[in-house]
Amino acid sequence: MVSLRASFAIVRNMSKIRIGNNTSFRLGFRVMLVMFAALTTLTLSSCDKFQPGIGYNRGYAPEQPIPFDHSLHVSQNKIQCQYCHNQVERSRDSNIPALSTCMNCHLTVKTDSPWIQKVRDAYDKKKSIEWVKVHMLPDHVQFNHSAHIARGVNCQTCHGPVETMQRIFQFSDLSMGWCVNCHRQPENKAPLNCSTCHN
Amino acid sequence: MSDTHQHDHDHDHEHDHSADASSASVPAPTLRDPRYWLSLEDWAKDPEFQKMAEKEFMSSPLQESDGEDGWARREFLKLMGASLAMASAGCIRRPVQKIVPYNKQPEEVTFTVPNLYTSTYFDGSEALGLLVSTREGRPLKIEGNPKHPLNKGATSVRAQAHILSLYDPERIKGPQRNLLNKAKTNRDTISAKWDDVDDATVKQLNKGGVVVLSGAINSPATRAVIGDFCQAFGAKHVTWEPLAHEEIRHGQKASYGEALVPFYRFDKAKVIVSIGADFLGTWMMPTTYTRQFSAGRKDIEKMNKLVVFDPHYSLTGANADVRIRIKPSQQISVVMGLAHEIVVKKGFGRFAGNASVKAALEPFAGVVSQLKMEPALFVKLAEDLIANKGKSLVVAGGLPTLTAQAQELQIAVNFLNSVLENDGETIESKNSLPGLTASYSEMADLIDSLNKGTVKTVIIHRTNPLYSLPPSFGFKDALKKADLVLYTGDRNDETGLQSDYLIPDHHPLENWGDAEIGRGLFSIHQPTIRPMYDTRSFELSLMTWGYLAKKGPKRLQEFETFYDYLRQFWKTDIQPKAGKGKSFDDFWDEALQDGVVGTQASGSSSRTFKTEALSSVKPVQSQGFELVLHPTVAMGDGSLANVAWLHELPDPVTKICWDNYVSVSIATAEALKLKEGMLLELTVNGVTKELPTHIQPGLHDDVLAVAVGYGRTQAGKVANGVGVNSYEMVGVKKGQAIYAGAFVEVKNTHKKYLLANPQGHHTMEGRQIVVEATLKEYLKNPSAGQHKHHIFSIWSGHAYNGHKWAMSVDLNSCTGCNACVVACQSENNIPVVGKKYVIQGREMYWIRVDRYYVGDPANAQAVFQPLMCQHCDNAPCESVCPVAATVHSDEGLNDMIYNRCVGTRYCANNCPYKVRRFNWFNFAKLIEKPMHLALNPDVTVRVRGVMEKCSFCVHRIKAGKTKANLEKRELVDGEIKTACQQVCPTDAIVFGDVNNPKSQVAQMFKDKRGYALLEEFHAAPNVRYQAKIRNNDQEGTAHDNKGSHS
Repeated sequence: MVSLRASFAIVRNMSKIRIGNNTSFRLGFRVMLVMFAALTTLTLSSCDKFQPGIGYNRGYAPEQPIPFDHSLHVSQNKIQCQYCHNQVERSRDSNIPALSTCMNCHLTVKTDSPWIQKVRDAYDKKKSIEWVKVHMLPDHVQFNHSAHIARGVNCQTCHGPVETMQRIFQFSDLSMGWCVNCHRQPENKAPLNCSTCHN
Repeated sequence: MSDTHQHDHDHDHEHDHSADASSASVPAPTLRDPRYWLSLEDWAKDPEFQKMAEKEFMSSPLQESDGEDGWARREFLKLMGASLAMASAGCIRRPVQKIVPYNKQPEEVTFTVPNLYTSTYFDGSEALGLLVSTREGRPLKIEGNPKHPLNKGATSVRAQAHILSLYDPERIKGPQRNLLNKAKTNRDTISAKWDDVDDATVKQLNKGGVVVLSGAINSPATRAVIGDFCQAFGAKHVTWEPLAHEEIRHGQKASYGEALVPFYRFDKAKVIVSIGADFLGTWMMPTTYTRQFSAGRKDIEKMNKLVVFDPHYSLTGANADVRIRIKPSQQISVVMGLAHEIVVKKGFGRFAGNASVKAALEPFAGVVSQLKMEPALFVKLAEDLIANKGKSLVVAGGLPTLTAQAQELQIAVNFLNSVLENDGETIESKNSLPGLTASYSEMADLIDSLNKGTVKTVIIHRTNPLYSLPPSFGFKDALKKADLVLYTGDRNDETGLQSDYLIPDHHPLENWGDAEIGRGLFSIHQPTIRPMYDTRSFELSLMTWGYLAKKGPKRLQEFETFYDYLRQFWKTDIQPKAGKGKSFDDFWDEALQDGVVGTQASGSSSRTFKTEALSSVKPVQSQGFELVLHPTVAMGDGSLANVAWLHELPDPVTKICWDNYVSVSIATAEALKLKEGMLLELTVNGVTKELPTHIQPGLHDDVLAVAVGYGRTQAGKVANGVGVNSYEMVGVKKGQAIYAGAFVEVKNTHKKYLLANPQGHHTMEGRQIVVEATLKEYLKNPSAGQHKHHIFSIWSGHAYNGHKWAMSVDLNSCTGCNACVVACQSENNIPVVGKKYVIQGREMYWIRVDRYYVGDPANAQAVFQPLMCQHCDNAPCESVCPVAATVHSDEGLNDMIYNRCVGTRYCANNCPYKVRRFNWFNFAKLIEKPMHLALNPDVTVRVRGVMEKCSFCVHRIKAGKTKANLEKRELVDGEIKTACQQVCPTDAIVFGDVNNPKSQVAQMFKDKRGYALLEEFHAAPNVRYQAKIRNNDQEGTAHDNKGSHS
């Protein structure tokens, strides 16, 4: 990614070179060739092994600042999804719980863990934790969690077996085809207008 | 491309013109409906305008010279294409994004669900109840408070746009000190600390000679703080506004004995006569008065009648049933002439036998001959007024009436209202507006005291006299004699530069407050965001100084915040008036919940008119050109000039944006050999200014009209250098500012200047676009004025089984105030493109208000028509899109899918309504931080190269449906409101589901006045318009000269 950004930057800088000026144009062209070669090598070598398709991120499982374990919380301790993600029924976005939610239990539970201490430190200092976003939709997609929950769609339908995930990963590819596939099923009676998701 | 389709349209259109139909190779100018025209170029069939109209799209990308680099854009694209192809061969992970949850979840915040707070906006003259929509702690959009008894959910252009002034990147971030040298010019500005400011100030305050100079203040609590402060330090409070209503207070005092600004009831008036008072646009309380006025026109059979004697082409004049152009010196003649007609000739009213009244009126016996109107019309008007005694209203006021005889004009108007028994009926003196105390004479006194050296400290709050006070008052030099000047403005502007300390007040959206909107009606002003910078509320500054000096009443010293003071003040002062019989906490919660408490005072009755006042009213002599200065709907007094929305908003009447200009009549332009945009040199009161010319149909030949509010020099990047500061042309006489009637010398410089005028960019080729009829026609035939087409289709169309969204726009209600345009801009993240691109036809508005002139250019009338995407069932745009980026939804919406659009612009070419906009540039990227906080997260921000257009606020439809779904109930009609509908003060726009026969929109669709635009093409729009009805006593429209569709 870094290389791609750099290449854009170079292209942008190149645009400042006047095309009428022969020397600088040739120079620019050479820079570009070198750049393309570098870009190709870089992008091919840095490919994430979990990524099957172009542009989709199924399997994306970034390391989080705190190794929060969903399987431990959900399967073992039987905590409901909505205990933490409590706005999912009311909001378009499902919320990442506030630190105060964590501290509801962790004021007393597992206080000796260095990770919990990290959370507690942040909580006491009125700071927060910067989680890495896993499920990303493009900016032009307007997804509404509450509407889906209201229709009785399970969290697992899209997010997969979260209760077994030690580190959260992207289960579905979240492509438009994947969305539409579900909306098309007659029994779901889901709208298929473009403006259902895009506006 | 555009030529071909143009001909097709004309061919279709000419189905009933056998002679012309065959020769459709060039659309001959004669084919166009000559009745309605957009601009003088259009009317005169100017060849250049014809060319532009045929071209439709004013510029192609090949003419683009805007790449900052000068590198040929197409070459660049080729190379970019290559690099992208290479890049996408690999796998690319988007940049890592972080989610930062709250430390503690605030109870009231649900992500993506807006919280609404009641608040108030006061622009120096009008106070509006607001609902401020906030998301995750930041205000996003300003809407009207539906529970508010005056504006009832509507807001004005500036009330909505003042959200951008909150996020203005040029606000100062904390207190500053200007190092003034001996000549009191600013040497340098350094940052200061509040403690140091307070120390220096208290030391100085103790020396006495303190004046608080502020704009009009309608907050009782702020007035109380200032009162306490004045008591503590022996200070004086002076209020001044450029748009003061002092002439009304003076006139009331001379006529009835008490200086007040009465509350007018346009809703109760059947005949309204306005002399220069632009009550629908800029005068006093335009939003409230527009609501009242349109309420009197909803029942068409009993609709009111508006007669306007217009010294410039005002918005009120544009809405008049009968509009008569006058010059400022004729204003008194008009009123006294009417009075003569009514009292002397008809012998009507209680003053009919009064000899002194008769003597005062006698000089005005033959005034009608000087007016550009038929004498019979004048007599008819007098008869109408007599017939509607107690139910009519004569108003005058505002800058265009501020001649040297402004007070005499008010006396004449008061006399006429007293004769017609309107006082106490349509004029409520018991219900006077308490906030409007601004006064030029107090300002003149302050300048005197400054010059005498008795004033040592001046605290300037919410007013900018060094910009908007005419320099001839001599305030600048006088202010230099003060020892300490403190200014609470949010930037180092014209006044700021002359101040020792800038002590920035909170933005109104960051501050607590209240407002007394009418007698007994109190509105709360809640903050909607924590102060963004190191600012301090003006009230708290005064309180702090009282506390530090240990002076003043206890309540000034004891509270740590203004909020505490306000609460206490409401407990002791407001609750006894407006909330008796409940606990204060309940009362307070109710005030916050509803935004407004109390009721307006009633019991206004007729007062005795002092006839001796009439003796001062004498005819006015005049010669040559007369200057008329006037505020505009967008800019007002110019205090919000750094808000780009306001600059780009076209003037409702002239449609020009990004400039002020001098309006001249057609005959004057011919006499002076002026062309549109040519620079004209005006010399008035010894000041010479060069302004571009706008040739204005329907203007009096002796009038030169110029807008105030432009020509800022220190307001910021947006405002500086836009237009000319016309306040400098204002004269002074006996401490009063003379805004109108001054003699102007003119000189044509023959220099050219380009004015940005988006009207005409979207010409509709003169088909049946606006329909109007006179009341008499309408009473005979409710569908008068319409040409119905035989429409047939060879297919049955789609079925819409669920909702079908549709909109109805009542042209008879719409006054063209443009509030909808700004509402849409705010709601839908519509970019501002700047003057250069407006000239190239690249403005981005999703809704526009077209203004058509009607009839004789010298005396043209106007019609307004809001135009947005018509969401056609058979949408012509959809069939031409090669990538299906614009398609129909099963609820009748014409969806625009930005991420699919590749920017062919075929759709815009094929749209008969010209409502599609193309993003030529990444306008959104130019939004400077923190301005991006005003973007609505529910609406995609568009990138370069895609089309966009009105979506019927589809995100609001979705939000409404989801809400109903979550609450497990059916949608209620009226629950979903589009942004333009919500803000409309006339309720001209109705939106809803036509498949629900009980919905308001379905009812409106059955109205006999209804028609759709270009019905004959059978695009089947989901927007229907209702014809405008003009109550002008004529059988047919005055301008009916048999156009192609009559």
